[in-house]
Amino acid sequence: MTDASSRLAETSAAAATGARPVLLETLNLKKYFPIMGGLLRHQVGSVYAVDDVSLQIYKGETFGLVGESGCGKTTFGRTILRLEKATGGSVSMDGQDVLALHGDALKRMRRRMQVIFQDPYGSLNPRMPISDIIGEGLLAQGDKANGWRKRSIRDQRVGDYLEAVGLRRDYSRRYPHEFSGGQRQRIGIARALALGPEFVVCDEPVSALDVSIQSQILNLLSDLRAEFNLTYLFIAHNLSVVQYFCERIGVMYLGKIVEVAATDVLYATPQHPYSVALLSAIPVPDPRVRTKRLVLKGDVPSPANPPSGCRFHTRCWLRERLGNPAECSTTEPPLRELAGGHLAACHFAEQVTAQAVQEAAATQSVIETAVDVD
Amino acid sequence: MTAISPAGGADPGATVPDRPLLDVRGLRTYFHVMDGTVKAVDGVDFSIPPGGTVGLVGESGCGKSVTAHSIMRLIDIPPGEIAGGEIWFDGRDLLKLSDSEMRHVRGGEIAMVFQEPMTSLNPVFTIGDQISEAILLHNDVNKKEAAERAIESLKAVGVSAPERRVKQYPHELSGGMRQRAMIAMALSCNPKLVIADEPTTALDVTIQAQILELIKALQARTGTALLLITHDLAVVAETVQTIAVMYAGRIVEAGTVDQVLLAPQHPYTQGLLNSIPGVKKRGRALSVIKGVVPNPFRLPPGCKFQPRCPYAWEACSASEPELLPAPNGAKSRCYLHSPEGAGRREAFEKSVAATMESVGG
Repeated sequence: MTDASSRLAETSAAAATGARPVLLETLNLKKYFPIMGGLLRHQVGSVYAVDDVSLQIYKGETFGLVGESGCGKTTFGRTILRLEKATGGSVSMDGQDVLALHGDALKRMRRRMQVIFQDPYGSLNPRMPISDIIGEGLLAQGDKANGWRKRSIRDQRVGDYLEAVGLRRDYSRRYPHEFSGGQRQRIGIARALALGPEFVVCDEPVSALDVSIQSQILNLLSDLRAEFNLTYLFIAHNLSVVQYFCERIGVMYLGKIVEVAATDVLYATPQHPYSVALLSAIPVPDPRVRTKRLVLKGDVPSPANPPSGCRFHTRCWLRERLGNPAECSTTEPPLRELAGGHLAACHFAEQVTAQAVQEAAATQSVIETAVDVD
Repeated sequence: MTAISPAGGADPGATVPDRPLLDVRGLRTYFHVMDGTVKAVDGVDFSIPPGGTVGLVGESGCGKSVTAHSIMRLIDIPPGEIAGGEIWFDGRDLLKLSDSEMRHVRGGEIAMVFQEPMTSLNPVFTIGDQISEAILLHNDVNKKEAAERAIESLKAVGVSAPERRVKQYPHELSGGMRQRAMIAMALSCNPKLVIADEPTTALDVTIQAQILELIKALQARTGTALLLITHDLAVVAETVQTIAVMYAGRIVEAGTVDQVLLAPQHPYTQGLLNSIPGVKKRGRALSVIKGVVPNPFRLPPGCKFQPRCPYAWEACSASEPELLPAPNGAKSRCYLHSPEGAGRREAFEKSVAATMESVGG
């Protein structure tokens, strides 16, 4: 405990000095997808994919965004890149309002923000040679100053970035099917970096890869970050990868950020009941570690019809322990600061202690965990 | 230095030399395709005692799923071919059974849980119909009794309101619920062995935790033997007693969970453990297994791992090592454990110690 609290103090000190400039900031960002139905195909509801998310990502850091499928983490990444049109809120990059940009200004902004996709098979056009796949963005962004409209200059740059990601220059004439999954992911990384971005959204970049290849790609991403001064938003569901790779982490649940903290702090002392359960669910490859796991009940409710109040209350083990206080289902808990830089959205975050977690884990039934929660 | 005997010994944890429930000996499954022959499984030996739990681990393409499908005789022939070996189950060689005899074993005595519950359940039948179908096929019961047993089996896997669930179609259930239905179906005929092929890979981590805990609890309650197939070392660490690690169609290391995960004896197992990211490795580069899995049409000579192995020497490419007993009682297909490998073994052991240091939670 003392270990963790001293680390807490450290981060709060860093936050207080405000040493790190913010590169990207979202304020109350919302993205709702309409549900069409009825005879006239009118809107009958909305999927609240991203709902009121405010986050700050510092220059040069690797910020991890974790959560289960359908929590909105990918939509969040796509919305800040303007691959989806935001429903509300704002995104600012280096002080510029990204959502208000259009025309040339937007095009210049796109060069600074790039994305690496999850599926190395689906994200490369099988009919294009690698030189065109990586060169396409360069061609689109070409102007007098960079000369990317000229084939020779473009090919030179494509070759440079292929080498930067550990592939051979002459691979540029080949087609995607000639490469393995790991190599394809390298091509996807070269495509993102060829435009010289400052901010890269890595959307599950290693999820589709085998462990031995996964570690190669993680090492590459980490080398490239140092080499090109990149800031990463690293979206993943694999919590061990995030723990290894990221400095700060945001946990998402049903379109909301429920906790933000430095990685060490989050893994040592999670304060939101959902984060606790999420971390407890990670299988450990060490047979000596045999802790009783806290297993959540039921499934994630539908984001089209999220629970009232705290969105996690239907599955919350802490609420059960506290005798189902009314606030949980009536009032939405704000994301509040518990200690320097450690934020959690729970009315009773202070009640999340190691002892409470242990007791909750000891009293649960592991079989009767499939219940209707929505 | 003799060849390893295929039977019995694959479970070093067991003290009673009971007859194994499942005994796979020298299994070879080949696929004859246009570009040549893929030896997907090439000489696999392992056994499972009654009520035992074994994990088969490896990366994509190592042959772990083909092994499971061979046991269930679900390989399409052609292009597939069981080119050799025996699969002894409860006193019979499954490879010699007729198709109709095999149908009684499949689903009745050996049940399978697949990775993708959406594609392995039939979308046009209700959950109840699909569970009842298996019960009707393998038991002497009428439809009404089968329907009742379907509800019971759903209840046993923790599905709430099973009376309502049996009337639902697969698309109406969530991924976790579908996997529970699959498990209910597998257990509905009280099988002696359940083969679970990546049962949690398609699921989110909190649902994975639910399903793993469920499988463990049910296994303990029913005493069914379990063969768990997965790429995730962490999943096997928590669920089974013994592990076999596969690479390029072969078992390269076999032993108890503690032996394999705490003191790996094969450089490939060590490489896998090393590749797992964890907090202690933050800020440092992950150590990687260099290169990629070999092309199945052009397997390297000698040991199949040798081109990627940091300890390889001439002997490794000259001939393929047998699955030899290693000093800690596990078995490893590696010349490091032959007398000639003694010098290099020291370096390997030092490196393993460093690996274990960084793996711990």
